[in-house]
Amino acid sequence: MTSPLLTTQGLGLRIEDRWLVQGLDLSLNAGSFVAITGPSGSGKTTLLRTLAGEIKTAEGTVNYQLDCPTRLAMIFQDLQLADGATALTNVLGGSLGRHSFLSTVWRFPHQEQNDARRLLTQFGLSDKADQWTSTLSRGERQRVAACRTLLTRPLLLLADEPVSSLDPNLADRVLTNLKNSITSRNGCVVCALHNDEQVAKFANTVLRLDPSDPHGWKMENINQDEKE
Amino acid sequence: MKSELPWHSRFDLLGVTFILFLLGALGSLPAIEGSGRSLDYWGNLGRFASRFFPPDWSILGRTIEGLLETVQIALVSTLLAIIISIVLSIGAARTIAPLWILWPTRMALNVIRTIPSLLWALLAVVIVGSNQLAGVIALTFYSIGYLAKFFSETFEAANTDAQKALRTLGASPLQAFQYGLWPNARPVIWSHCLWMLEYNVRSASIIGYVGAGGIGLHLKLYAESADSWNKFSLVLLCILIIVTILDLTGEKIRKTIRDKLEGKNSL
Repeated sequence: MTSPLLTTQGLGLRIEDRWLVQGLDLSLNAGSFVAITGPSGSGKTTLLRTLAGEIKTAEGTVNYQLDCPTRLAMIFQDLQLADGATALTNVLGGSLGRHSFLSTVWRFPHQEQNDARRLLTQFGLSDKADQWTSTLSRGERQRVAACRTLLTRPLLLLADEPVSSLDPNLADRVLTNLKNSITSRNGCVVCALHNDEQVAKFANTVLRLDPSDPHGWKMENINQDEKE
Repeated sequence: MKSELPWHSRFDLLGVTFILFLLGALGSLPAIEGSGRSLDYWGNLGRFASRFFPPDWSILGRTIEGLLETVQIALVSTLLAIIISIVLSIGAARTIAPLWILWPTRMALNVIRTIPSLLWALLAVVIVGSNQLAGVIALTFYSIGYLAKFFSETFEAANTDAQKALRTLGASPLQAFQYGLWPNARPVIWSHCLWMLEYNVRSASIIGYVGAGGIGLHLKLYAESADSWNKFSLVLLCILIIVTILDLTGEKIRKTIRDKLEGKNSL
């Protein structure tokens, strides 16, 4: 029996006067991959940002069982990269929480630089490390953002459509990397996805949101072991 | 049915200020008077201009020395101004500084900008004497007024998404500024610096007129001695060449930076 990293009770999300989700009881267990699906506007981003603590809950509660708030990290849908910095520097931004201002003011520690380069290589970007992110394609930028978040070494990774601009092969590679690096340290990935094949391939649990009914969300378990 | 906009909809801020400008300029015309005597304007211009030619090349060596000094004054004062302006601009940026720092900083910058470079040069000459140091002091102060304003506007306009993202990923406010906001502002700030350098070379050419070093002193001497307009014209020609070179390289570098930031090339 694995212990949950985060639970919600009767969670309600609202944008202005419209309820997106109500009465959501969620339990994010260590070692699991939870997919959130639903059409655009169904509340996937709002749910992720609420779990990240960026938006206040409209009703209900979110309980964190993490030893440290920095163990939770998010890959933003709009990426939020520094355009005038190299891909490597952007990725290294993920390590800032572990170091003081003075120790990163001139350069990042060697170990972090090696880790960042290794991540970029894993995500197929080794030859782009020293390019400004403004010169990269949307798909490349998306992977830089994923690498930056992974370098924070999160236990609970919230990813908002992290593969929306990638071709199927590359998307599988990125999702595999995300899943392996988080679950290997007994963390949990919560990922908004549009593609049902990806959901079936990677998720243990899928939460389907219904834009027409705030109570109409459905939770399904997918047994990944059986497929293997 | 064709629906037309009401007649007064044309009078937005742009339209109204343009009309005010036009009225002001036309209204000022009667105030502009000549000497009232009938002078041969074109003849005067022709006689004066002919004394500029041909330029006197015998003073080329001396002129190049003077120009070198001018460029050195511009380089040192621009560097000093950049360093001071970065600190001041953080205090003058609405998105960064609290109000009690913001307004005093902005007021100080307004005061600095009110004083023209020639007046700064006069002040500096009075304090440190007639030398290049006076030029450096004058242009440093003059540049701070502009650079700190440009820099603070750049910080205010820069995309803050990355800065916010780094904060949520655990970075301290200073780290988020250094790695989130600064990289977005840096290219624009550097193009402002290049512009200021060009500008300072031009200014440094004239402040010598009041004794603050550089080629301006040569201009003053030639203008005041009889029949030296052909030497004067050589100095002007040399300044023109230097300024044109700076202008072209500055423009080229700024375009490269702009393209790179907009993702048009992959340098």
